[in-house]
Amino acid sequence: MGGAKDTERKRRQQRQSAASKPPVKSSHQRERMRLFLGVGVLVVVVAVIVGGLIWTNVAKNETEGQAIPVKSADANLDEKRDGVTVIVGSDDAPVTIDVYADFLCPACREFEQEWSDEIHQRVEAGQLRVRQHMVPMLVNLSDPPGYSLDAANASICAADEGEFTAFHDSLFAAQPAEGARGWDEGQLIKLGRDLGISGEKFANCVRNGTYDRALEAEFAKIREDSRLQRDFGQGPAFSTPTVVGPDGIITVEDGWLDALLDDTKR
Amino acid sequence: MLDAVGTVVRLGLAAVWLVSGAIKLADPGQTYVAVQAYEILPAGSVGFVAAALPLAELALGVLLLAGLATRTAAVASGVALLAFIAGVAQAWARGLSIDCGCFGGGGEIVADRTNYGQEIALDIGFLALACWLVIRPNTLFAAGRRDEQRVREDLTAASQEE
Repeated sequence: MGGAKDTERKRRQQRQSAASKPPVKSSHQRERMRLFLGVGVLVVVVAVIVGGLIWTNVAKNETEGQAIPVKSADANLDEKRDGVTVIVGSDDAPVTIDVYADFLCPACREFEQEWSDEIHQRVEAGQLRVRQHMVPMLVNLSDPPGYSLDAANASICAADEGEFTAFHDSLFAAQPAEGARGWDEGQLIKLGRDLGISGEKFANCVRNGTYDRALEAEFAKIREDSRLQRDFGQGPAFSTPTVVGPDGIITVEDGWLDALLDDTKR
Repeated sequence: MLDAVGTVVRLGLAAVWLVSGAIKLADPGQTYVAVQAYEILPAGSVGFVAAALPLAELALGVLLLAGLATRTAAVASGVALLAFIAGVAQAWARGLSIDCGCFGGGGEIVADRTNYGQEIALDIGFLALACWLVIRPNTLFAAGRRDEQRVREDLTAASQEE
């Protein structure tokens, strides 16, 4: 009599426990899947970070271990140093322009790419004289900082050896990227050697930063000079490149050089 | 329903970090220059921040995309956005002069400086997204746990069955 009811109860209980077992098993499965996914995502994050660090390091150090390629001046232009300004061309030339530039400035590199040849031609023809003012404006924009100043100093040292133009042109042709590694002193010295500068005077000049203080002092004056400032929407400021002719700052656009030289002929 | 909204919010914030991080990572030099321009960090740390920032953004983006540790990622996002807003605000307030004024092409540097208000407004919008996720991290299609309450429910159900 009790036995049949008991078996019924037992069977009901078994059915109930059988019915309730699958949810427990699948929630374990879900947990395991979640763990697997979680680990997978973390692996992706770690890969992104490690990959990113490697890439960043490579991208920022392109100039390491390289030699600065030589861009020799096609012509032998007269050069002489005046303080930390380099005067290129004959003193008899009817027109003189002042060019203010920074070796790290991308806009200056574009200016060089577009106008360097024509300017050299005019200088060679005795029509133009250029006063080059290299400014260390972007000294903190290389990583490690200092390239702007080192390059400007080295170019003045090169001027003392009569190789300013070739040195200047080579540096712009091989300009390092802003925010990245510039050329170090060893590489700047090697460029000088490749341009034919011999002796230790140049190397010492570069290493000692002989013209550093003078360049900084000169730049401090330049940036405060209202005649050299332009307004780009945030008030007057000095920027590079700045080209100044007999009538003040020149807007560099197509035909500016012809216009300048024609004006003075009249 | 709110879970669906949360999902959109989560994916939106993920997209912000992934795009922002990717752009920065693509040009490490330009990122360095940009960090420098705020003139707020001590000299030695600019390099570290400029290298780490894109990676942190990408990491947050991946976590949010996968829906892992959503609330934590949202808190981190909020903190980062507050820092950005503060950084832009101080640059605006100080009227940082254009000393790095190399004007090539379209004068990009100048353009950035006149968009302070826009930049801050955008960041506040993103901050709102992050706040939603901090308050309500429940979303769909997430690799992580939905929320503490549901986990507790799962665990109690499992122990009852035993």
